[in-house]
Formats: sequence, structure tokens, C-alpha cells
Amino acid sequence: MMKYSRREFVTTLGVGIGAMALPSWSMVQEEASVRGTDQAELADIAIATAKTLGASYADFRINRYRYEDIETREQQVRNVSLRQSFGFGVRTLVKGSWGFAASGAVTPQEVRRVTGLAAEIARAHSAYQRKPVTLVGAPKVVANWKSSFQHDPFEIPVEEKIRFLLGLNDIAMRAKGVSFVDSSMSLVNEQKYFASSEGSRIEQYIIRSYPYFNITAVDRDSGDFQTRGSLVGAQMMGYEFIEKYPWQAEAREASEEAVAKLKAKPVEPGQYDLVLDPSHLWLTIHESIGHSTELDRALGWEANLAGTSFITPDKTGKLRIGSKLINFVADRTQPGGLATVGYDDEGVAAQRWHLVKDGVFVDWQTTRDLAPLIGRKNSYGCLHADSWRSVPMPRMPNVSLDHAPEKVSLDDLVSGVENGILIYGDGSYSIDQQRYNFQFGGQTFWEIKKGKITGMLRDVAYQSRTTDFWGSCDGLGGKETYAMHGSYYDGKGQPMQISSVSHGCPVGRFRRVNVLNTAVRRP
Amino acid sequence: MLLNEPDAKRTCDKLLSYLRADDAVVRVRSNSDSHVRFASNTITTNGSSEETSVQVTVWMNQKRGEASGNEMSDAALRRTVEQAEQIARVSPVDQEYVPSLGPQTFEPVDGYVDATANIVAADRARSMAQVTDACEKAKVSGYGFHQAGAEAAAFASKNGNFNYSRSSNVSFALTVRTPDGAGSGYFARSHFDLGKLDIGQIAGEAIRKALDSHSPRPLGPGIYTVILEPQAVADLLGFFTYAFDARRADEGRSALSASGGKTKLGEQLFDSRLQLYSDPRHPELPGSPSTEEGVPARKTWLVKDGKIETLTYSRFWARQKDTLPTPGPVNSILEGSGSLSTIEEMIQSTERGLLVSRFWYIRTVDPRTALLTGLTRDGLWYIEDGKVAYPARNFRFNQSLLQMLAPGNVPKIGVPVRTYDSGALFPALLIKEFNFSSESDAV
Repeated sequence: MMKYSRREFVTTLGVGIGAMALPSWSMVQEEASVRGTDQAELADIAIATAKTLGASYADFRINRYRYEDIETREQQVRNVSLRQSFGFGVRTLVKGSWGFAASGAVTPQEVRRVTGLAAEIARAHSAYQRKPVTLVGAPKVVANWKSSFQHDPFEIPVEEKIRFLLGLNDIAMRAKGVSFVDSSMSLVNEQKYFASSEGSRIEQYIIRSYPYFNITAVDRDSGDFQTRGSLVGAQMMGYEFIEKYPWQAEAREASEEAVAKLKAKPVEPGQYDLVLDPSHLWLTIHESIGHSTELDRALGWEANLAGTSFITPDKTGKLRIGSKLINFVADRTQPGGLATVGYDDEGVAAQRWHLVKDGVFVDWQTTRDLAPLIGRKNSYGCLHADSWRSVPMPRMPNVSLDHAPEKVSLDDLVSGVENGILIYGDGSYSIDQQRYNFQFGGQTFWEIKKGKITGMLRDVAYQSRTTDFWGSCDGLGGKETYAMHGSYYDGKGQPMQISSVSHGCPVGRFRRVNVLNTAVRRP
Repeated sequence: MLLNEPDAKRTCDKLLSYLRADDAVVRVRSNSDSHVRFASNTITTNGSSEETSVQVTVWMNQKRGEASGNEMSDAALRRTVEQAEQIARVSPVDQEYVPSLGPQTFEPVDGYVDATANIVAADRARSMAQVTDACEKAKVSGYGFHQAGAEAAAFASKNGNFNYSRSSNVSFALTVRTPDGAGSGYFARSHFDLGKLDIGQIAGEAIRKALDSHSPRPLGPGIYTVILEPQAVADLLGFFTYAFDARRADEGRSALSASGGKTKLGEQLFDSRLQLYSDPRHPELPGSPSTEEGVPARKTWLVKDGKIETLTYSRFWARQKDTLPTPGPVNSILEGSGSLSTIEEMIQSTERGLLVSRFWYIRTVDPRTALLTGLTRDGLWYIEDGKVAYPARNFRFNQSLLQMLAPGNVPKIGVPVRTYDSGALFPALLIKEFNFSSESDAV
């Protein structure tokens, strides 16, 4: 249970440090080997070569990615690693077919060779392209953009980060009954340069931070064990995320809860009213709404892996997804959101739009080549590649659930429940390939009887159907309960690419949801 | 171009020559990859990329640091070494430090074919066009992904261990859907040799499954007898070898931990005909010649006659427990002993049950019992009186792997085959009791 104001932190700090444009900012070029690299010159070579080879459109991305990962357990540092990846990718549109090629050898000769290869691949496929690719227009953009952060985490000494994690571990291990703690910090810096044959030239600098811990309590006599992971997740923030969030308080609480889970009451399977904290609800939003409103999925582009969608273009503006309380907003400008950018990976400016309004599905996530397929004139700017070597593909913007306009607290929602469960944190998650049937676990589960929280439960998972679940929502918290959580490693596509995305939401109440007890006899 | 052995060795030596650290392991890796995707019988995206990268792990006064990068100039390589050393200087002592290995003998592995590594874009485009033509002829839509690539990897330790190896892999996965969206089929295979990947078989099977799965009927959740095709077994057991980690079992936080602080090593946990092992030199499934820690890989039995034969020990944990590090697993092979059955024979022997093509979105729900959830997908059929009766609506399952493979629950086992996963060889299995917890509308 929350005894400190984690939500206040996630709500206020996240909103307080909005992203901003830095017109005079230029990319940090810290590498000796890069000092001689002239991105604009390489871009000119790629674009000119592509045009010579018959490309009707071409774009060029030269990106540097920096990763810092620290992993610890108890009072040991297991790994500290710094990783850099630098290279370029060229996308050409020749005779209505895409061709993409990339290389980690950043030289003018290699840019010419790889651009030639991209054009050759496009040409090889154009003979078999049954529907030529077309793009909606996009304004030419020349800009720099930097995500907002107060302290660049890559500037903070490694010793300080180690001290922070071992300090958390120390707190966690103090609780009687705690056996192990694993903690980590994963930091990302993306430095991206984009150029297109339409004249756009965009530089972006992005910082994301993800501290995490997981506490294990083992009962050696019975052979039972339980875990409690941290609740807050990753943020598009700097080191201030580590400095200002009440990590120590959460570690203390989590350690007590890990031990308490061993003795918690097993849940009786059946139908319960659920009250879901944002630290849990974000993942249900992600899986059931975030992915089902991707237009590429609805059109079958992901049928061979992630699947399609229960929503089809003919249902736009007609399909009821949830109760009238439900409003989902796609937003690549949301401060602190992991999918927030200045521009997407084909130079379209970040935007905010409704996916679901008053419970009805109203719009899609689109890119420049998807938009024309449903008769749209503009892209919503959802193209993304996870590396210079990955072909850009449609990826999810931040998708957030609006809070209630009035003041509604967690207690207000709990007080209206006769027989229910309050869930914090994300656990096991699974959903079908058209996003109907899902099952979610959590980190901690609390029994609600006659409007009061009466104790801890264990072995809880709930199953529902997307439209039934959102249709059963009869209460949302107010602004004070709103918080943003997200995924650092959302996977999609073939070859698989990862992306980071956030989902803001208030506390929500859902009526009569099917709950399972997941424990089975151990052999 | 992939690094050849002399060039890889030169890069390793160069990295080692920059060291000030007491001990180190350096790695160099180069890879090339290309792919094409199509949807609704037309090409959507494609790509081709190449990269060479290095990773440097050092210990200075037993303090560890690691850095990696993909810039290969002498200055960049030197800087990567310096970064690793900088980290080591400010890190606490690595309590799990075990000195790097000296020279080892590695058995060569033959899992590289030039034709796979150097696939020609035009040839592939033609081959994919044949698949989409076949789909159009059958009045269905094809959604496919063809990928080919190769990797050369070398590592060297300051104490003299060195190995270089190359591998290639090509795969094709195809989903076929009927135009009304009421039928969906999937088939996928991989191989290290382009010439042994049968595109025609994959297309034929996926089309057949799409047509045969049309208009599935609801059956209601419950416990069913199931016949799991090899792909479905691979989906469930692909990561199962991780459960054999000795340290987690000893620490009491694994499905193979037991009460009283013990483990399930030596227990008859599974059906006595089941054998699970890793073999780097398997001709159909060559694995890496080395474990991640530089130990020469050898055939390793995890389950023998249904008993837990080995738990897997890292070099550190082996030292703690006064045993040897495990020379694997580097791949995953499940076999049955005794007479093996075809899927047709399994169907004929089933009074009432379900034939499962594959599973999807599998997640661990309870690590204590290796209980997984997930869903059937792209082909599920009801079997009645020894025959496939009709397609069934998809299910969500909640099933413990320990219970699924338990003695008495696996009456029939097939011949293991390579599926889509490049690291696994699995057979079809007849499972007596399998728990489906709810229905899914998805097709």
C-alpha cells in the first residue's frame, strides 16, 4: 500500500519539466573518430546518389546511441557497462518500392555503396510490388530538438550510481525474511540526425532513465518464494529521476510486501470489482488500446508476428470500445513520455490527437505511407527505428487515459466496492493477436470488502475481453491520481525492434471482472 | 564482409595490447543481415545491414569494468579499452571474479554456408513472388518474413584463451489468412543452409492451415488432451533450459528448487521417455563451440529418462559449489526414447482432443511451477474418434510445464525437427491433460 507520495512525484515532476525546442543546440560530438564526420555532407551524398539511381524519395539517418547499464545484487556490483553504437541508414523509394540499407562504417564511400544497395533492393522488389507505395506530404523542417532533463545521467559519476543502487539494496535486505535483491539502472542517450530528399534536416538529442529493483523472499522450509518489483518504471528524464523520486521509501515498503506475500491469503477465483492503480493500469492500456489502434496492424502489416486488430478502418467513428468515461489520447508531445519526440523518423512534427472519445474509437496511429491507405492527407508522425541499422516502422506514441474532470480519490473509488481487489504494479501480461482476450497479474493485491481494504491477497490474475473490460469502467480518479508509467522495451516487427512508450492514467474502477488463482500444486 | 579468423585475431590482439588491466576478455563480432517482409501478398519493407563491434571486459585489482562499441579505428578501440578500465577503477571489488581461462581446445562446428550469408536480393524477391502467387491462386492473403544473415565472432582472454567461429541462418515465416478473416494458418522453418530451407513446403502448409481453420467453433474452456505440433512445443519449451540454472535453484527461487533448501536434481520430474540435452555438434542444429564464458561446449544432458540429470553451473557458481562449470547449453534438443509416433498416429489414438499448431504471447505467471499463460493461434482443430473433426476457436491456456511433462502425461512423442527457432529441435507431443482457461475471439 502507498504510504508516501509516489504519485505526486510521477505527476508533478513529469509535467513540470516539459520538452522544449533548443534552436541553437547542436549535436554533441564527443568521439575523436567522429570529429571529422560531416553529417550534412554525408546526407547530401546519400540523397544525391539516391536521386541519380531513380529514387522518387530518399531519407538518411546518422545516429549515435549511448547506453549505460549497471546491475547489482545485495552488496555486489554484477556489471557496469558502457555501450556505443554509431552508423547510418538510407531509405529509398524507387518505382513505388522501399529499399533500406545500413552500415556501421561511416565514410563517404560507404554511404555511396549503401545508398546504391538500398536502391538496388528497391528495384529488385518493385517488379513484384502489387500496390506502389505513396506518401502523404509533410512540411520541410530544419530544426534541433532536445528532450528535457535537468541532469544528464551520463555526466553523473559511475560511483554515485553504484552507491545509490547498493544503498537501495541495503534498505531492502534489512527487512526480516528478505533473501535477495536485484537492482539496476539503464540509461539511454540517442543522438539522431535526419535528412530527406525534400530538404528536411533535423537533429534530436534524447535522454531516458530506468532504475529498477526486484526483491525476493524465500521460505526455505516450504520451498516457496515471492517477489516484489519496483512500481514506477522508466521515464524520459535525466538523473533528477533518481535524485527526487522516493526510492528508499519504496524499497522499504517493497521489502516488507515481498515477505508479506508469502503469508498472504490465496485469492478465491470468481468475479470481482477491480480498482487499478496507474502503476498497473498503464500496461492494460498499452496492450489492449495502444496496439489495437496501430493502423499497420489493422491493415495486416504485422499479421505474421504481432497480429492484426479487432478494430478495422470501417469501424472508425462507430465502434464502442468502452464506457462514456473513456477518452484515450495519443500524444508524442506529452512531457516525460518515453515516446515523446520533436519529430518522428521521417521528419513529421510530434502531435496530440484522440484515439477514443467518450468511449468510441475515432482515430488511428499513422505514418506517411500508412495515411494514404485510409484516405488521409497527413501523417500523425508515428515512424520510428530503434537503431541506425533498423528500417523505420510505425510505432506507438504515448497513449494516455484522461482523468475525471472532478476530484475523485482512490478512497472514493474503493468505497464504492462491495467485493473487490486493488492492484498495484505490473506483473505477468498476455493478449491475443487481435487484442481481444487478455490476462494480467500485478505486484501486490489487496482485498476490498464493503468499501474497505481488509488485507493482502496472493496468486491473482484477471482475464477479460478488451471491449468488455473498458465497458465495465464506472469510475476514474481525478487529476491527483493521474500518473505516467511505461515500457522501455516494447517489441514489435520483423526483425524485432524495441521502442519506449509511456501511458498516463488515473486510478480506474472496473466492475465484475473474472479473477483466477494462478497457483498450482508443485510436483 | 564478415571478419575472417586472421583479421578477428588481429583485432583481439590489438585490444589486448592496449590493456593495463590485470585480466581481460575481449570480443569482436561482425554480422550481416538482410530481410524482406510482405503483407496482403505485396512487399512492405526490407532491409540490409552490416556491423562490426567489440566488447572489452577488464579486471583491475579484481574490480570489473566493461565497454563496447562499433567504431573500429585504432583510436576508438583504444578508447573502448580505456573506458572499461575507467569503470573498473571506480567499481568495488567483483566478488564473483574468476580469472579468465587459459588456452582451451574447441571442437569445430559446421554451421556456416556461403550461399546463406551472401543471399542475392533479386533471387529472394523472385522466391517470395512465387509464394504470393501461390497465395493468390488459392484466393488467400500471405503475410511473410524472410531473413538471412551470418555472424563471425571471436574472443580472447588475457590468459591465452581464443576462439573464432562463423555461423549463418536463414528463416521464412508465413501467415496466410482467408479474405474474410475467418481462417488463419502459419508455418515457419529455419536452417543454416539456404538450400535446405523448403519455401514450397512452408507456403503449402500455411495455405492448407488457413483454409482448414476457417470458421472455428467454440468449445468452452477446460482440461483437454492435446497434440502439440513441433512449433507449439518449441513455443512452450524454447526457453526452458534457463530453468536449469543451478544458482537460482540453490537459492530457492526456481521451479527446480525444493523444500528444505534442496533442489530437484536427480528427481524423476518428467515422463521417463523424455530426454533434453544440448549438443553443439548436432548436424541439423549446430550450436556455438563455446559457452558465453569461453568454456568449450560439449554435449550436455539436462534431462535423462525423465530425471533432472544436470543443473547448469556458471564458472563462479561451480567454484562456490566445488564442481565444474557446465559446458552448455548452447542449443536445446528434446527427444523421446522408444518408438516414436507421427502426428497422424497421435490423432488416430485420440478419442477427444485438440490439435495445436502454435502458441502465442507466452509469459511466465508463476515461476515456482513454471506456470505459463498464452494462447493458441493460426490453426486449432477438434479431434473426435481418431479423426480431425472441425476447426476450434482459439483458447488461452494456464499450464505448468512441470505438470505438462510429468510422468504419465506424455503418452506419445514424435521425431524432433527444426522449427522457426534457430536454437531448438523439438518433436510433436501428445499431452494427456492441458489446461485451457478461457476462449479468445481472435483469428
